[in-house]
Amino acid sequence: MASGTLVPELSGSGVGLRSSHVAEVLATRPAIDWLEIHAENYMGGGPAVRTLERIRRDYPVSIHGVGLSLGSADGLDAVHLERLAGLVERLQPALISEHLSWSLTGGAYLNHLLPLPYTEEALAVVSEHVDRAQERLGRRLLVENPSSYLRFHHSPMPETEFLNALVRRTGCGVLCDVNNVYVSCENLGGDAAAYLEVIAPAAVEEIHLAGHAVNDADGRAILIDDHGSRVAEAVWRLYARALARFGAVPTLVEWDTDVPPLAILLEEAAKANVMLRGARHGDGDAHAA
Amino acid sequence: MPTLRELQAGFRDALLGGDANTAAAAVHDDGLGADARLAVYRHHVFTSLTGALESTYPVIVRLVDARFFRYAADQYIREHPPASPCLFEYGAELGDFLARFEPSRHLAYLPDVARLEWAMNAALHAPDAEPIAPEALRAPVALGLHPSVTLLQSPWPLDAIWRANQPDAESHGVDLDAGGVLLQIWRAGDEVVFRRLSAAAFAFRHVLAHSGRLDTAAEAALTADAGADLASLIRTLLDEQVLIRPPRP
Repeated sequence: MASGTLVPELSGSGVGLRSSHVAEVLATRPAIDWLEIHAENYMGGGPAVRTLERIRRDYPVSIHGVGLSLGSADGLDAVHLERLAGLVERLQPALISEHLSWSLTGGAYLNHLLPLPYTEEALAVVSEHVDRAQERLGRRLLVENPSSYLRFHHSPMPETEFLNALVRRTGCGVLCDVNNVYVSCENLGGDAAAYLEVIAPAAVEEIHLAGHAVNDADGRAILIDDHGSRVAEAVWRLYARALARFGAVPTLVEWDTDVPPLAILLEEAAKANVMLRGARHGDGDAHAA
Repeated sequence: MPTLRELQAGFRDALLGGDANTAAAAVHDDGLGADARLAVYRHHVFTSLTGALESTYPVIVRLVDARFFRYAADQYIREHPPASPCLFEYGAELGDFLARFEPSRHLAYLPDVARLEWAMNAALHAPDAEPIAPEALRAPVALGLHPSVTLLQSPWPLDAIWRANQPDAESHGVDLDAGGVLLQIWRAGDEVVFRRLSAAAFAFRHVLAHSGRLDTAAEAALTADAGADLASLIRTLLDEQVLIRPPRP
């Protein structure tokens, strides 16, 4: 994109752009408010990036990174931050987000959003990395709450307190993944509604919705955040509470495993849009809380 | 209590099949067991990375079958975890790994087929570069090959093996004794392609890529084949739009 392109402002609902849908999006230009891409899929050259630039002419885009590893004790990967900055420059995204997690240690990138203990030490590490990323990108970074399958013995802060402290220290925003809140609370015995009540509302600039799987682990149900199905009813109900607390925040539907036809994703996004309109007009569920 | 760095190193060991004690000791059982909780993360790491390798190496998957591939991938991931978060860059060493991997050593052509698939993957994601115009050759200028180009030499008929293992292949038979190949793999427009080169063209391009000079490349071509047609060697490079000015280091 030419420099000086106006950064768009998002509203309504979007879907995560998956490679199997790119040709259909270009051919049919579906009525969707915006699209989100995974940064790491577009850090090479060639046709993928050129195609994305064509899509960007017609839709606002948000960039969702999975590889910055904000919680790595080894330090921030400066090369990766430069590649992200290059993509931000080219696409002029409406929003840029990353995760409250880590993936990189000892030069190995473990390809998972791994959990952090919520300690002062980890808060200092993540804060320093968010500061550096925001400084390099010249933009506010949104940080997403992870889905969790374990708790650490030594993790004195609740996740919500850790996120709020991160927001206060760095001025970053929050990407509230409502499915992750649900999955983590089910897996670790938390109260999902109470979780939403503690997050600082002004910081929440984007919401994620996705499906999860229910697996059996040694006779116990464990929820897996696999983004492989429709959004669960319980997560839609939690989403209504999120809208009541945070307002009509731009909402994205993600689907990464067994990706269905684009039409199914658009249906889910349309459902979110109905609830967003309700939140804007102050009626329905969104008003109840 | 481990430091954050120690905890993360412990996670790496636990997830990549090493000692899980440091990570497990830091994790609550919560009625399930620390090992079972770590296994949720390990499962995702291995399935997602195996999936990335499968999509880069479809012909290898076909040649060894899906189950054997997953077994080899499991070993590969432990030995070569990704160094970068960009998964299209993951798997560069699979050819060298297969050359050492005892259970498939009898398939001697496998490493070179993997190198062909890697070159195709690299070509797809290589940066764009402007091809040089013929007039530019009148001035002394450093030359190079397009960043998508790989030159690959093999004692096996890699092109025939690759074609016979495409989903729409008409014949799955390959004569492995058909002799070796000198291949160029590159991106033409948006499409990744490969073709055989003559010994003279291979030497010409190989030396050009390393020296940046037409004169040394011409000498290499004539050494490979005293009857080489230099004008045609240059013209083909221009026609294929793979001759560029290399970026200054």
